[in-house]
Amino acid sequence: MNIMFRKLFLGASLIFVAHFAISQTFTLNGYVKDAASGETIIGAIVVDEANPSQAAVTNTYGFYSLTLPSGKYNIKFSYIGYEDQRFEVDLTKNTNLNVSLSEGVVMQEVIISADKDDQRRNVEGTQMGTISLPVENIKKLPAIFGEVDILKAIQLLPGVLSAGEGTSGFYVRGGGPDQNLVLLDEALVYNSGHLLGFFSVFNADAIKNTTLITGGIPANFGGRLSSVLDIQMKEGNNKSYEAEGGIGLISSRLTFQGPIQKDKSSFIVSGRRTYILDLVQPALKGGNFEGTNYYFYDLNTKLNYRFSDKDRIYFSGYFGQDILKFSQPKRDFTFQLPYGNKTGTLRWNHLFSEKMFMNLSAIYNDYQFEFGGGQSNFVFNAFSGVKDWNLKLDFDNYVSTNHTLKFGGNYTYHTLTPNTAQASNGEVSFATTFKPKYANEYAVYFLDDMKLGKKWAINTGLRLSAFQQVGPYRSKITQDSFGRFESAKIYTGFEPRVNTNYMVNRNLSIKAGVAITNQYIHLVSNSSSTLPADIWVPSTEIVKPQRGVQYSLGVFRNFDNDNYETSIEMYYKDLYNQIDYSDSYINDINTEVEDGFVFGKGRAYGLELFVKKAKGRLNGWIGYSLSKTERAFKDIEGGRWYPAVYDRPHDLSVVANYKLNKKWDFGAIGIYGSGKLFTPIRGFFFVEQNLNLFYGPRNSERLIPYHRVDISATYTPRPGSTRKYSGSWTFSVYNVYNRKNPFFVNFDTTTDFAAGTTKIEGSQITLFPMIPSITYNFKWNQK
Amino acid sequence: MTKFNHTIRHTYFLAFIIVAVTFLTSCESEYIPDTDASQQEYVVEGYIEVNDNANPTFILLTRSIPFIGEVKADKFTELFVKDAKVSINDGTKNVELTQLCLGDLPPEIRDAAALLLGINPDSLKSDICVYVDLFEQINKREGGKYDLSIDIGGKILTATTTTPRRVQLTDFVFKPTPGVAIDSLAQLFCTIEDPGNEENYYRYFTSSIGGQFVAPFGSVTNDKIFNGKKFEIPFNRAINPGEDFDPFTSGYFLRGDTIVLKACTIDKDHFDFWSTRDFAANNGGPFASYTRIKTNINGGLGIFGGYTATEYSFVVPN
Repeated sequence: MNIMFRKLFLGASLIFVAHFAISQTFTLNGYVKDAASGETIIGAIVVDEANPSQAAVTNTYGFYSLTLPSGKYNIKFSYIGYEDQRFEVDLTKNTNLNVSLSEGVVMQEVIISADKDDQRRNVEGTQMGTISLPVENIKKLPAIFGEVDILKAIQLLPGVLSAGEGTSGFYVRGGGPDQNLVLLDEALVYNSGHLLGFFSVFNADAIKNTTLITGGIPANFGGRLSSVLDIQMKEGNNKSYEAEGGIGLISSRLTFQGPIQKDKSSFIVSGRRTYILDLVQPALKGGNFEGTNYYFYDLNTKLNYRFSDKDRIYFSGYFGQDILKFSQPKRDFTFQLPYGNKTGTLRWNHLFSEKMFMNLSAIYNDYQFEFGGGQSNFVFNAFSGVKDWNLKLDFDNYVSTNHTLKFGGNYTYHTLTPNTAQASNGEVSFATTFKPKYANEYAVYFLDDMKLGKKWAINTGLRLSAFQQVGPYRSKITQDSFGRFESAKIYTGFEPRVNTNYMVNRNLSIKAGVAITNQYIHLVSNSSSTLPADIWVPSTEIVKPQRGVQYSLGVFRNFDNDNYETSIEMYYKDLYNQIDYSDSYINDINTEVEDGFVFGKGRAYGLELFVKKAKGRLNGWIGYSLSKTERAFKDIEGGRWYPAVYDRPHDLSVVANYKLNKKWDFGAIGIYGSGKLFTPIRGFFFVEQNLNLFYGPRNSERLIPYHRVDISATYTPRPGSTRKYSGSWTFSVYNVYNRKNPFFVNFDTTTDFAAGTTKIEGSQITLFPMIPSITYNFKWNQK
Repeated sequence: MTKFNHTIRHTYFLAFIIVAVTFLTSCESEYIPDTDASQQEYVVEGYIEVNDNANPTFILLTRSIPFIGEVKADKFTELFVKDAKVSINDGTKNVELTQLCLGDLPPEIRDAAALLLGINPDSLKSDICVYVDLFEQINKREGGKYDLSIDIGGKILTATTTTPRRVQLTDFVFKPTPGVAIDSLAQLFCTIEDPGNEENYYRYFTSSIGGQFVAPFGSVTNDKIFNGKKFEIPFNRAINPGEDFDPFTSGYFLRGDTIVLKACTIDKDHFDFWSTRDFAANNGGPFASYTRIKTNINGGLGIFGGYTATEYSFVVPN
């Protein structure tokens, strides 16, 4: 019995030990960086070459964690545009491995020697509607006036529509322009456009990576219904000093970066300013408009310090402003219109273990719009703005190769100042009585990304959010007063998100997802485009949170040994508590914006096709969307469903880059889209001898279809030069065949009182015909 | 304050112009929209004016004009709707208005009437008919309520308006024009003492040297920003029909002229019509969305509005 017991015990022990030995796992983790600059790389692939399903991707901070059973592995590190690095790893304990990748050697035949792991994500990942655009790719595209623009580049992706020609505003899958969460190093950017939106506030020289999520928004993001645009700034070269810049037709740029302490800390400072109206100042001198000017500028800066492999801090800041000055000295009339964003982000990355990554961020962001001026004794000043203090804690737990957990929380204190105005005439003065509104926004989330066997993967998430309007506030409904931080109104949100992936075979997968999202801060525009004066308003006792439910389904297929990624995605969206202005809304400084709102619902559905060739001498993509977007408001035309202003059924973009040789790169963009909707004039009527317009149903007519082709060529005189200084010329032509795309339609009436006739003329204004441009870009490196 | 709103609008337009001119790129081509001629609507224009100098109440009943490019005088007269039954109830009695056609009048009265209607008499090739309270039976009083009813061959239009209580203006003063003063012109200011316990709405007209009253652009205001206060506001001279707008001189009064300022209190519906009308008319440009003019006519377009008016007469000092 005793022997028998011992044998059994030994047997059991052996089985246990054997099992333990087999299942014992260790974690390989570290950072992936650019070898030349020390800049961390986002989205680099870390893969076991023998079993490509055992892979990890670097996060926003360049960190990866790959947990494998103990053993010997050939681990490959790759990133598009970079040369692969392979390491033989004997994984007998948790191992830290930081890897530096060098940019790919540009050769005559094979352009980039990257592997295909990045393309695998198209088929294997759970996330839908997600596209990452490294800024280097964006820089190769033709750009109007030679100004590289991230927001215009993302408008070329399926499901994303431009808010208007030349503007950086965008609509995603039938959502409004306020439904996009635009983040710059985690800081919310409330107004992403300069010059009424014709240029984006993101200076491409300071940007590292841009990711757009249009499908099921993962639970770690919240607060907006339609999309997330996550933009990361460069960290700065921690190896050597470097300067780069460009001289363009309307603006110039300069970026300086380098180590503070080599390999440990670095900085980057990047600036941009327009100057075209500065040049005409001498011509205005002594004239009716002396002193009138307009310009904008941006300043991006970032510092980082690495205490150890476990602790790292970052500080990033952005400051940008538009300034319009108008002056008529002879009439003693003047006004100024400055507006802009400020953001600051302080982040601490900490590794609790090889598998547990933490980020703690303290974020400040501020958008202010001012407008002031006067004539003689009459002086006026208007102001609106939004200011947030935000504290955010995120954990990434790399449980195993097939299982990642993310969880965290977020708290934001909002201060939203509505349209306050003061005016005075001599000693008499008056002011609007609108007070700023204050709110706390809370969220906690949990996200679980898991592979279940070889066929299934599931990404489930839950976000619980709450929004609390706090005092000082006086209720418009009950007339109750609330003191500082006293709760006046609370809304809560239950926001589950699920995405699944079923791999039919190695090259084909089917994905499906559902996402519920809440939005507590809103911007409603009474214009055909978004304007800097449009005011962000919080949810209050009058304005309820917007809520969206999106269902999506997609088929993802790679062809030709992963050379071509393709996808077909379908979505259906229900939108609740949508906000608009009534038909007879007057932009009246005396009325608080929320009192002009009407509330309704929306729905959107569509189909998106995407074909991408990421590599090779010729690369690019074709994106096509077929969609419908509608709204219904009780107070607009009796609550009938009408097409939203964002409704453009067809949208096609073709993007191509071609590398002819080491010196010449070519780029082309082709766009075709349905015309913009507008509310047509049905006729005229006389009152007080004047002609007045009356309109047909809202958004019931469409401008002619929009299309154009842009091309560019980049010439690098000394490619691969080892000299400290290098330069390149970019020539581009916007709207090559000079298509007269209508920007808007205008109606003018001319009355000849003597003849008793009145003439009504409609005209269609085209803003951007063919525009050639040239930009010189330069780079200096201490080396 | 309306001036303030205009300034904001103009800023956008100016900024747009800067964009356009800076890049010297914009161009313009003719746009011809789809026309749906069947969408003709009835348009009402009529006022109840409490004022010793007021004309008899009349109602203009027209059709709207489809988008046809040019409206000529002969077409214009065809817009007037004849043979409708028009009545106004003043709270105590129902007064049926008389159809009066200009062709039935002697030429001199016809000319005077045409001028009153703002129509060039020489351009009248056919007949125009209006509906008039010929015997002034309607009891026009401060604080009155009036119901309009129109029957056009079975199509019924209705509207209601009121004549709010009078608010006086005081402390009239003519000041030099701002900036480099233009010697021949002056700017008119007066003080309004707004009653504090209610919402008040105002509209004003000006007339120069015995001409007709014309409302300047931005002629209406509410009391949101000066509720219950004594407040000095500038008054602009209206631009007469056929007169060009000059940004440097428009709105100012010519020194030596005899002018009349007619200041009126109006009700909210009446204010909404003019404020949406003014906003719609001013809301052009690339970024503007449309503004539907708010009407108080059930079943049609236009306005049936009450005025409680006070006239102030001045000679602009030299």
